[in-house]
Amino acid sequence: MSWLRIALRNVLHDGTRVISTLLIIAVGLTALLVGSGFMLSTYDALQEIAMRSEGHVSIIDDTPDPALGGAHQQLTLSHWQTLQADLWEDERVVRVLPRARFEGMISKGDESAVFFGSGVDPKEEFRVHGPFLRTDGILNPWLTPQETPDVMLGTQLARTLGATTGDLLILHTQNRHAENSEITVQLAGLYHTGTPDIDNHSLMTNLTTVATLLDTDNISQLSIYLQRREASTAVQTFLQNRLDGVTVQTWYQRAELYHKVKALYDRIFGVMGLIILIVVFLAVSNTIALAIHQRREEIATLSALGSSPSRIYANFILEACLIGLAATTIGMLLAYAISNAINLSELMMPAPPGKTEGYPIFIYISWPHYFITSVTLIITVVFASFIATRNATRVSIVKGLS
Amino acid sequence: MDRRLELEAITKRYGRDKNSITALQDISFTLFAGEFLAIQGPSGSGKSTLLNICGLIDNPSDGDYYLNGVSVAQLGVSERCTYRRRDIGFIFQRHQLIPAMTVYENIAYPLLLNGVTPKQIRHDVNQLLDTMGLEHRRKHLPKQLSGGERQRVGIARALIKRPQLVIADEPSASLDHQHAHAGLQLMRKLNQAYGASFLVASHDPFVIDHCDRKIELLDGRLETPA
Repeated sequence: MSWLRIALRNVLHDGTRVISTLLIIAVGLTALLVGSGFMLSTYDALQEIAMRSEGHVSIIDDTPDPALGGAHQQLTLSHWQTLQADLWEDERVVRVLPRARFEGMISKGDESAVFFGSGVDPKEEFRVHGPFLRTDGILNPWLTPQETPDVMLGTQLARTLGATTGDLLILHTQNRHAENSEITVQLAGLYHTGTPDIDNHSLMTNLTTVATLLDTDNISQLSIYLQRREASTAVQTFLQNRLDGVTVQTWYQRAELYHKVKALYDRIFGVMGLIILIVVFLAVSNTIALAIHQRREEIATLSALGSSPSRIYANFILEACLIGLAATTIGMLLAYAISNAINLSELMMPAPPGKTEGYPIFIYISWPHYFITSVTLIITVVFASFIATRNATRVSIVKGLS
Repeated sequence: MDRRLELEAITKRYGRDKNSITALQDISFTLFAGEFLAIQGPSGSGKSTLLNICGLIDNPSDGDYYLNGVSVAQLGVSERCTYRRRDIGFIFQRHQLIPAMTVYENIAYPLLLNGVTPKQIRHDVNQLLDTMGLEHRRKHLPKQLSGGERQRVGIARALIKRPQLVIADEPSASLDHQHAHAGLQLMRKLNQAYGASFLVASHDPFVIDHCDRKIELLDGRLETPA
């Protein structure tokens, strides 16, 4: 015989009303957990894209080179080979990839288009992008220094030019002496990112080709890939203190898309979460208010027997806690089952704005996240019962017993 | 004999000024320790109002009320609650058992409220269940009991904490003659065993005949001198 046992008896005795409240809370929690699980997986994917495309840490020389064109053509990081060799000595570092950004026109016969190009280390570049950069029809050996250098084009850019693998194309740009420069390249293959803005204009070639075209060994950025992403800030601080005249940034500082999407999703799921919490609050308040109305006689009897108002208050709060606990347990199990079912079914999301392809829905199952969300919901339930139970202590014993 | 309860010119009015209704007027009487006192009167005579005041459920408008020599007429909510929890047992006309609790839990509830240890609760409740012939019903819910059994559970709940004062409002009203008789016998038996004072409101002559003494209420006034 304990207060907990009495609360449990009352909860079980209330039957239908408790079940309906329980289901509202459980379904609300399931929606929160599945929705936020999707949100977390999206954040993770965006972080992964940012890290794979920029590296965990990037070294950039911000000094503008007046001889070169726009922001895409700042090849100001010199002596990077020494820096790369030094970085290889650091056991936290897995890869150090140079990237030279440049821009210009690409043409095939009468067809021309603007391009934004990257000079890359071809052996490593496609490896670090993993599933976020898909390739098609690559010639072997590709992107290696040859008599006729190779180039990879975004699928849409190739379509604009009417180019297919093996075609000869001409890159036109200005070199670092502000002179017109061009080079004939062979189309080695296509790639697509699913983002039309990138696939319409981007191309990749090897650093040697860029050096020949722009007449410089300089690059735009040195991207450092680490064993553990958690070391990003430590490595950034270490390098920033060590290197003069360059900017060292973590992937987090450079992940503009990630921050924008996260801000948007945080707002969407924040509003959704708030609505669910309000629904739960109202459902629990209503249930408790009804229970108090229907159990007026019982409350009066307990008061007559000597239960203090605070004791009656505590009993109702305990009942609400039990309902909250049961509902969150059901909600968590339901969310776990639904998340696994969605993950296994490989359902596809439609293409988001600015993308041409959908992506598989993946729902993260994170127990700390489950715990925090459930505790938030239980606190809402207890708060709702706290407000609603005030009426219980105002029940007149005389009226309740009459 | 010790004076368990003493009422001095208790008056109860509902409403204010000209529109007020007087439910009790100048009620004075004494209940002694171990006494079994009946309050007789027709419906609407003020019996329940008087019991509510005696049981510290309601406050009188005027007059004074002493429980074991202490004035309790104008106590605050918390103090009255403490008295009810510790010193007063209630037997209700409709038994007022808690529907979600078993027979055992209904009887044990006042002990739990008084902070009695689980071991002592088990001992006391089992003993009383045995005394009242309810041990086979200990796990049953009130809805599974007959009217007589419910009344016995109500009596057990009122007496489990050995109160000094037991207030019973029409204890036989919802029972047939046989069960009413058995219930009354039980109350008398426990009255003698525990020494509790009983204040029983009833208009049932059978109940009144079994009490030590009776007082009569009519239209809120005491007809029989206390």
